Amino acid sequence: MSEVERTIMNLPRRDAPDKLRGRTKYTNDRMDSTTLHAALLRSTVPAGRIARLDVSRALKCPGVRAVATAGDAPGLFGIGVADHPLFASDTIRYIGEPIAAVAAETLEQARAAIAAIELEVEPLAPVLTMEEALAPGARLVHENWRNYEILFEGGSRRGNIAWEAKAMRGDVDAAFARSDVRIVESTFRVGRQNHVPFEPRVAICSWEDDRAHIQTSTQVPWTVRNVTGRVMGLTPGRVRVTVPAVGGGFGLKFDATIEPITAVLARKTGRAVMLENSRFEEMTTCLCRENADIRIRSAVAADGEIVGREATVLMDCGAYGGEQIFLTTMTAHTLGGNYRLGAVRLTSRAIYTNTPPNGAFRACNGVYNTFALERHTDEICAELGFNPIEFRRRNVLGDGDLGATGQPFEGEVLRPMLDRMEGLREKVGSARERAAGRLYGRATTVGTWFIFVGPSSATVNLNADGSATLVTSGVEIGSGTMTQSLPQIVAGQLGLDPRDVIVKQADTDAAGLDVGVGGGRTTVSIGAASIEACVPIREKLLKTASEMLQTPPERLTLRNGRVEIAAVPGSGATVAEVVQRAQSISGPVTGTGSFTAKNVPAMAGCAMGHFIEAIDIPVFAVHDAEVAVDPETGHVEVLSYSVVQDVGRALNPLAIHGQVQGGVVQGLGYALHEEVTLGGEGEIRQSGFETYRLPLALDAVPVAIDLYEGAPSMGPLGTKGAGEVPILNTAATVACAVANATGRLVREIPLTPPRVLRILRDREPALPHPHISADWLQNTLD
Amino acid sequence: MSTTFQLNGETCRFDGDPMTPLIDLLRCQRFMTGTKAVCREGFCGACTVNVEGEPVLACLRPVGLLEGLSVMTIEGASRYDAEAQLLQAAFERVDAVQCGMCFPGMVMSLSKFLRETPRADRNAVKHAMVGNICRCTGYERIVDAVMECLAEAHSAGGADV
Repeated sequence: MSEVERTIMNLPRRDAPDKLRGRTKYTNDRMDSTTLHAALLRSTVPAGRIARLDVSRALKCPGVRAVATAGDAPGLFGIGVADHPLFASDTIRYIGEPIAAVAAETLEQARAAIAAIELEVEPLAPVLTMEEALAPGARLVHENWRNYEILFEGGSRRGNIAWEAKAMRGDVDAAFARSDVRIVESTFRVGRQNHVPFEPRVAICSWEDDRAHIQTSTQVPWTVRNVTGRVMGLTPGRVRVTVPAVGGGFGLKFDATIEPITAVLARKTGRAVMLENSRFEEMTTCLCRENADIRIRSAVAADGEIVGREATVLMDCGAYGGEQIFLTTMTAHTLGGNYRLGAVRLTSRAIYTNTPPNGAFRACNGVYNTFALERHTDEICAELGFNPIEFRRRNVLGDGDLGATGQPFEGEVLRPMLDRMEGLREKVGSARERAAGRLYGRATTVGTWFIFVGPSSATVNLNADGSATLVTSGVEIGSGTMTQSLPQIVAGQLGLDPRDVIVKQADTDAAGLDVGVGGGRTTVSIGAASIEACVPIREKLLKTASEMLQTPPERLTLRNGRVEIAAVPGSGATVAEVVQRAQSISGPVTGTGSFTAKNVPAMAGCAMGHFIEAIDIPVFAVHDAEVAVDPETGHVEVLSYSVVQDVGRALNPLAIHGQVQGGVVQGLGYALHEEVTLGGEGEIRQSGFETYRLPLALDAVPVAIDLYEGAPSMGPLGTKGAGEVPILNTAATVACAVANATGRLVREIPLTPPRVLRILRDREPALPHPHISADWLQNTLD
Repeated sequence: MSTTFQLNGETCRFDGDPMTPLIDLLRCQRFMTGTKAVCREGFCGACTVNVEGEPVLACLRPVGLLEGLSVMTIEGASRYDAEAQLLQAAFERVDAVQCGMCFPGMVMSLSKFLRETPRADRNAVKHAMVGNICRCTGYERIVDAVMECLAEAHSAGGADV
């Protein structure tokens, strides 16, 4: 049995029994009677200058142990650009921005003290939309943007443009000037999506041995360590981050704004301090998936070849650059993906506004760019008279084709996946009769995601009882990587039962660097590091057993918890016996491994301002949906949903199917009813579950799933990340199906009943996007 | 003012504001954290407990209204409630759990349904679940697990409705 065969199984989650019985201690379950509670004073205006901030009355309130303000955490942090203070000191930039924090014996006392803080603000006229932010003479959200420390070189910035990334390949002007092409142009707009993980952002910090120990619900323990050190002026090594079970993340918990506040208050009080966002705070300062405006234009030859494409994507980063700056990178691969392009130029701009900051959300940037790209593709097909599936079959990226930044793609994947979808469609059949008098539409779309691998490390210790302990900075956010794929991988390498692989939860004091759980990278990156960690362990086991059994190492194998003579099952010794022997002769049996990308870089001069130089692992998906649109009410019902997903190799098919089902339903929420709108002051209006409409059981649709295996991947054992991708083209697929059902253009999502009714009655506004020039060069700096 | 009720079979006396939500008594005073606080506005179902056998949202129920009643939380149901145990085993078997925060409430809501509705179809199960929101799983696998439990309960001789 090969190590691959030993690794593949439907291992059940080890954390499920405790989670189902209420025994799991998430971060917000870890307070006790000695924990202090923190509350925040948050801004109620979107823009202003702090004229006076007096906390002396708050300090005298009952139960109060400390108050913190900007003076306690003077450092600025950010991704790419250090533009973000922990507390507003002089300038307020959004409703909900923290200004001060109180730690008190009870939460009620902390909140009462917050109310006693005296704050005077001189309001400024807010900049609430990207259109306003880009208008000539617009007020600067960051007046001193030139003075910020640059953490990553290469992007362009100016005024309210926090960051700009570009991808350029080939002569686009020549392509559009050809006499034999038709030019198709489309504009799109998407709103924000709120993550709503069930556990809010929360942290508990204690001050131990003159260091901060933060327990937090995070996806990025090393970022929390670094940001906390940075804002407090401590070396990051004086911050320890441990991560209990996380009650959902979806990208929201890439944030590090709660944790440093608890560290400041813990240092001041010497006590453990817990800060947990209330549901209102969580909803209104959520770091939503960003709202975006998109213009895309293509030159298509009569035979369907896409000879030129150009696009501009405006991403609203809100008051601080944060992850949007990083995410500008993704556009080259999401909007510039899927199809073979003759020449291409794309610009992606993160724009400051006086609104709550946005952030990363599952398949970040890709979900709406895929919506735009696939709708644009169908608009091309409608204008030029192509069959949409045949057009895709002709034009999807294949072996050796170049991406927008000039990286060659390896392997023929999307085309055979389209064939597999045809098979799946036949197998599932049509649900058309269930449309029952409503408008019926069906669509098939393609999607390209890519996994950014980044650095990870792993240590494996083999124990005297024959078990192994895996130490990493990985975090279990609900996707099962720490409870299923990683123990399976280690067990497969060492011939153990995966139930005998203990996985240590993230602790920055114990494990090496990791860039966090997101983008589908954990199984790939930590998995590869884990395999490397097992190499010296195998060598030591085989060498020791060889001496014990008087048999050459090459005739031995690791299986079923034993070191056996390969030809004689059940022979040899148990791993426990061999470990005990090895420990006595040569010391502990342990190995460490590390991993980072060995990637395909961009072509010289094609990518500017990109945080990720290369596509590490492209991942493809093909989705198909049937919808019924009620012309009276505008309600869209999804009648069937099918997914063919490229997973490289499925180590735990049961777990991957669960990720696909969950991702698709989350995507259906985004496509159909999850709507975040901003009020007149730039505040998020959907402040709770009553007003933000999440998918319920009756909204869920069973997803027919076909996992496509065997595509090239540098992931361990041929794996690719599987949890991020399922949401990538749900909105695209539903929008295309609704456009087919109604015979109208769909330019905006979510497709709520009022919007669908406007579409049906031709009352949905056109999107002229005056803030995106028709001349692409006008949309770029430099 | 004092309120006395049965909590997982034991007498619980609470001296304090009778308007205190049950969830705060459980989580913040007794540190019984199996009951999850998610929306605190009666929409998500994560804090569901049983009062006199009926599913009740602990975020909306003042302790003062529990005088003399019997309250069961996920901690108690995991020990004493056969249907809850059946559900827990099925959720494990079909790999339904992801982040897991909605599941204690899901178990508390569905155990009564399972007890009283042994002949339900998938659609009826979904109707029974609309008060329990799950952000991770896309629900279908939860329905699968409940359908398995219904099949088991039925083959064990459950009564028809």
